[in-house]
Amino acid sequence: MAEWGEARKSSLLGKYTQRLSGPQKVTGQAKYTFDINRPGMLYGRILRSHIPRGTLTALDLSPAQQMPGVKAAIPLIEVGKEIRYEGQEIAAVAADTKDIAADAIRAIRFDYDPLDHVVDLGESMSESSPQIRDWENNQSDRQIDEKGDLQAGWTTADAVVEATYSTEVQVHTCLESHGHVAEWDGDQLTVWASTQAVFGTRRDFARHFELPEDKVRVITEHMGGGFGSKFGPGVEGQAAAKLAKETGQPVKLMLTRKGEQNTAGNRPSMVQHVKAGATKEGKLVAYEVSGYGTSGLGGGAGFTGPYVYQVPNYRTEKFNVAINAGSGRAFRAPRHPQGAFAMDSLMDELAEKIGMDSLEFRKLNDPNEIRHAEYDRGAEEIGWNRRQKVAGSAPGIQKRGIGVGSGQWGGGGGKGTKARVNINSDGTVEAVTGTQDLGTGIRTAIAIIVADELGLQPTDITVKIGDTLPGLPSGGSGGSQTTPSVAPVVKTAAMAAKESLINHLAEKVNVVADEVVIKEGSVTIGNNQLSWKEAASTLGMETISEEGSWDENLREGGAAGAQFAEVEVDTETGQVKLIKIVAVQDCGLIINRLATESQINGGVIGGIGYALLEDRIMDGQTGRSLNSNLIDYKVAGAQEIPEIRAIAHDTDRKVTGIGEPVTIPTAGAIANAVYNAIGVRVRSLPITPDKVLTALEEA
Amino acid sequence: MQGASCVEPIDWVEVWLSNRGDPAHLHLSKDGCRIHIRYLVQEVCPTSRLVIQGGQMAEDTTRSTDQPEDRQKDLHQVNKTGLSRRNFLKGLGTGAVAATVAPATLAEADSHSATTGAEITRATVKLSINQQVYQIEVEPRTTLLTVLRDGIDTGGQRIDLTGAKEVCDRGACGGCTILVDGRSVYSCMMLAIDAEGKEITTVEGLADDNELHPVQEAFIEHDALMCGFCTPGFVVASKAILDQNPNPTREEIQAELSGNICRCGTYPFIFEAVASAAKKMK
Amino acid sequence: MEKFSYINPARLEQVPGLLKDDWQSKVIAGGTDLLGEMKDYIESPKRLINLKSIPGLDQISADDGGLTIGAMATLTDITEHSEIQKNYTALAEAAGVVASPQIRNVGTLGGNLCQRPRCWYYRDPDTDCLKKGGNMCYALSGLNKYNAIFGGGPNYIVHPSDTAPALVALGAEVTILGAGGQRTIPLENFFILPTVANPYRENILEPNEIITQIHLPKPIANTTSFYIKLRERSSFDFALVSIAGVFQTQGKKCQDLSLILGGVAPAPWRSNEAEQVLRGQVISDDLGERAGKAAVKNADPMSDNAYKVTLTQNLVKRAAVMAVS
Repeated sequence: MAEWGEARKSSLLGKYTQRLSGPQKVTGQAKYTFDINRPGMLYGRILRSHIPRGTLTALDLSPAQQMPGVKAAIPLIEVGKEIRYEGQEIAAVAADTKDIAADAIRAIRFDYDPLDHVVDLGESMSESSPQIRDWENNQSDRQIDEKGDLQAGWTTADAVVEATYSTEVQVHTCLESHGHVAEWDGDQLTVWASTQAVFGTRRDFARHFELPEDKVRVITEHMGGGFGSKFGPGVEGQAAAKLAKETGQPVKLMLTRKGEQNTAGNRPSMVQHVKAGATKEGKLVAYEVSGYGTSGLGGGAGFTGPYVYQVPNYRTEKFNVAINAGSGRAFRAPRHPQGAFAMDSLMDELAEKIGMDSLEFRKLNDPNEIRHAEYDRGAEEIGWNRRQKVAGSAPGIQKRGIGVGSGQWGGGGGKGTKARVNINSDGTVEAVTGTQDLGTGIRTAIAIIVADELGLQPTDITVKIGDTLPGLPSGGSGGSQTTPSVAPVVKTAAMAAKESLINHLAEKVNVVADEVVIKEGSVTIGNNQLSWKEAASTLGMETISEEGSWDENLREGGAAGAQFAEVEVDTETGQVKLIKIVAVQDCGLIINRLATESQINGGVIGGIGYALLEDRIMDGQTGRSLNSNLIDYKVAGAQEIPEIRAIAHDTDRKVTGIGEPVTIPTAGAIANAVYNAIGVRVRSLPITPDKVLTALEEA
Repeated sequence: MQGASCVEPIDWVEVWLSNRGDPAHLHLSKDGCRIHIRYLVQEVCPTSRLVIQGGQMAEDTTRSTDQPEDRQKDLHQVNKTGLSRRNFLKGLGTGAVAATVAPATLAEADSHSATTGAEITRATVKLSINQQVYQIEVEPRTTLLTVLRDGIDTGGQRIDLTGAKEVCDRGACGGCTILVDGRSVYSCMMLAIDAEGKEITTVEGLADDNELHPVQEAFIEHDALMCGFCTPGFVVASKAILDQNPNPTREEIQAELSGNICRCGTYPFIFEAVASAAKKMK
Repeated sequence: MEKFSYINPARLEQVPGLLKDDWQSKVIAGGTDLLGEMKDYIESPKRLINLKSIPGLDQISADDGGLTIGAMATLTDITEHSEIQKNYTALAEAAGVVASPQIRNVGTLGGNLCQRPRCWYYRDPDTDCLKKGGNMCYALSGLNKYNAIFGGGPNYIVHPSDTAPALVALGAEVTILGAGGQRTIPLENFFILPTVANPYRENILEPNEIITQIHLPKPIANTTSFYIKLRERSSFDFALVSIAGVFQTQGKKCQDLSLILGGVAPAPWRSNEAEQVLRGQVISDDLGERAGKAAVKNADPMSDNAYKVTLTQNLVKRAAVMAVS
């Protein structure tokens, strides 16, 4: 059983290491799928429906096919089938240039018989709504979770809060849109994919084209963001490969921004009717939620709850409501931000009602010791004692407030990754595995682990990932699972490679292995010291190549986090200005502190967008999204960013993942800070000026 | 052109010829009881939806097209959702409009303007990019970003400067930021034909003899990048800041980077990196 | 975008003739708005007349009569111009908060004044809204959070320009070149509200006319001006409500003023009501409050934008108080 051992004494683990891909990325040399230009490559483009619902009655590709420069046009839906949302794929073309491809899809003719659509949740649930999914009243089966005796809980409650909290549909908005470059060589398919799962994508391509998996190669050298939305080829990938097959030329098909926003996933919305009770001593005793949300035509809308805090008696009920819109997909901590925002708001409301400090109240109901420490650390850092004792009591027009939110994530990883470490006779070291780097920094983390084991520097390690060709599979990068899944196997591969080298050297000079010490770029054998290069050169024609194995003991799940926000609300304009956010996050054993802090910043900033800005707008009249672009869909920009204190909270735990947990507590913390500032609660995200002003007026 | 007894236009009328809801302007004139179309924007797709605006004139024209009443209604049919009904095959189709329409050629348009100025439909431009001159044939609609990323020069070489990224394609995210005569611009919103005679610098042109620009170094040091897709745009925009203002405050850095979006959320370290590069450059 | 042909005129006088009067030709300056529309096929002009090929249109020059700004001066040129910063502060501030640095480096003053609305129905390529020749204003019956509270109907767009309210407040005149030569009119009269007969345009320009320059009168002593823009997102966003104020004051007394609102109406919106309350009066918080209330007396909000009434009221008050503090 391997151990991280004296990890904290390591000169690399837990220290600040620059990203290996940095030089390529800052010079524009990093080639993303979007940047792949193959000889003879064509440009693919998808014609999408501009209507939300209708039956396709005619489709004529010939005007496109006849255009000069157009090499192929294929249908993506059969005549007679139902179009079910704006953006649904109708057809695709491949052409010599992007502009011709754009012209070509406009030349394609199609017609439809319109069918009634619905994009509003309330409308969709009503009797009069058109049936748009195979669910009664467009509602999925209720998912019910119960514990304890709710009735008994209510009787012991001294204070009860009833409120409705709602959260918006958030769109992933990956800057590199979904897409592929597909190239056939006989029956061999090579795909450059913007994906979070090269092996999963390979499998899906193989199945779709009925190929053996070994005939498909998927490459993702660099990748421009996924956040949970990029786990397979999708219709666009299939279309790219099909167009490439039909034309005999490589085809690049990247989604347009509009296609990306409308069809490539989103975080489902949620409306939670919550009733909760606590005793005057500060114990949660009852919690009841009925919640529903939309994932477009898909499922997956939900919330986690009761969130983080222990309630002996509860009942939660949740269901999906179908609307004619693109389906939701996993999005950074699925179901958690929805649950956390409601729970964190609720905890504040209850604490106020029983006259207890919100943080005190939380601690009384939060069983997680690590988070208790995080509360203390964060409270100190934000200056919790500066919080308005009575919400909204500060004088003046611009009022400041402070709030707290909490988060919890599993993220322990799992077995399934194969990894290999090679030591070549020229001293170069390769670490090979089938994971992929979406920007999380796993490439650098792998180099750190191997370098740490071999006494080298991360830059000495060539990390080969994002390619199925070496046949060393790894899972998709999602759920904060990548590092805890990959790190143990890489670690044990490096250990095995090191052991092999030691054995080889010991054998070579005829000493026992114990006399060979590899450290800090050199190898000591008894009294002799060799440089790493010299030692490796003794391999001659050999290469050391060792696979690692899964080791349960090297990873751990369950990352607790707490965040604090200070805001300034302008009561005349409704604008919420962020002053500071403190994020205290249990990160387990940190491999790269620099990338970890980046990840925390990133989670917080995603949470800022969720709390204050982002909202997909669907128009009931047309059934179309009104803001499927980057002007009207507002993600946080440079001027939205407050001071952020990213605190990687060190614990004695093993390697874990933190991609998800860091984005969970932000919205609750901000919402609570807004309340603390103005004394009026906005229970609907995003908290935009119109909502703040309306809430103030209604108060 | 059919219906050739051309008379002076008595009024202008806009006709929205729509395929996927995209308007095109047609210029109509009336001769007796029928219309014809003088300048056709593009090949008329007979299956497109035709919506005529312009009050009384529209009425005149529709009457004059000899279309059956019900077909006219179909033209304007709006379903309860407010969506104009697209008419395909069975709609306007090969009826009256198609019969009166014939494609006007560009040559005709050219002849109209020959006396006033050269009308360019394709051009070979010389672009100075990162101090290298590229000769490339473009259409007026070709954007500078398209040239950088997908352009092939007249010698058949790909320009292949893919550092500038296409993200929003509407001048809203900064992914395609480059320098034109030293100022940051969105290359997705600049026509290549307009870039002739200007000094274009992309992220690939910032490093000097393989020595990184201080901004690039600082971005690496401060981990001012994650997925890196927005990074070239931020690096270029940051260089532009420091060229104008060697001592920016954090607020100034934020304001000057407000035209760039990072979805991974690397902003705090970007601000640090720019401040640190500013110090280094002194 | 659709194909188009491109013309580089050498002289300004050629432009009206090149434009003809058929709406198929358009001028292109910075192109940051026009190209966006063309990419979304909202506009598909057959020919573009490039104003950048004409020398001298971007000059900014001070003279005895005031300041003349060429229509092709970029927003960055204006923001950085010391005379404008000093004497026409509202304009410098307004130009400085347009969109983003990259847009301001390319976008021109003329383009900013002539930019098309941001209403999401108008910008949706597939919605045939009234502004694009359709038969209804979708905002009226739909989602209108960002739409007009003044002067709306038959469509309810808001004019998106930041420089327009500032320039109108500063008493700018605009010079227009057409086939029949030049004319100069107050900029305030340049912008028009939609009508049933013509819901399509936001200004009086005929298809063969262009803006060539803006002229600002000499600043009057004891006058301050400013521009405040409220937006949902600080980075790169259009105004929810903005205000350009020009105040001639003596101590706390407001001798004369001009208050122009942005983001609330299909054209820059002069708040005569607020001006009347403040003109000739000593400004106090109370008076500011009254001016704010007066400003929104005739507001006519829709289903989602009543908050703009509050916002406008508070902003007018803030502007008044700020002018004397």
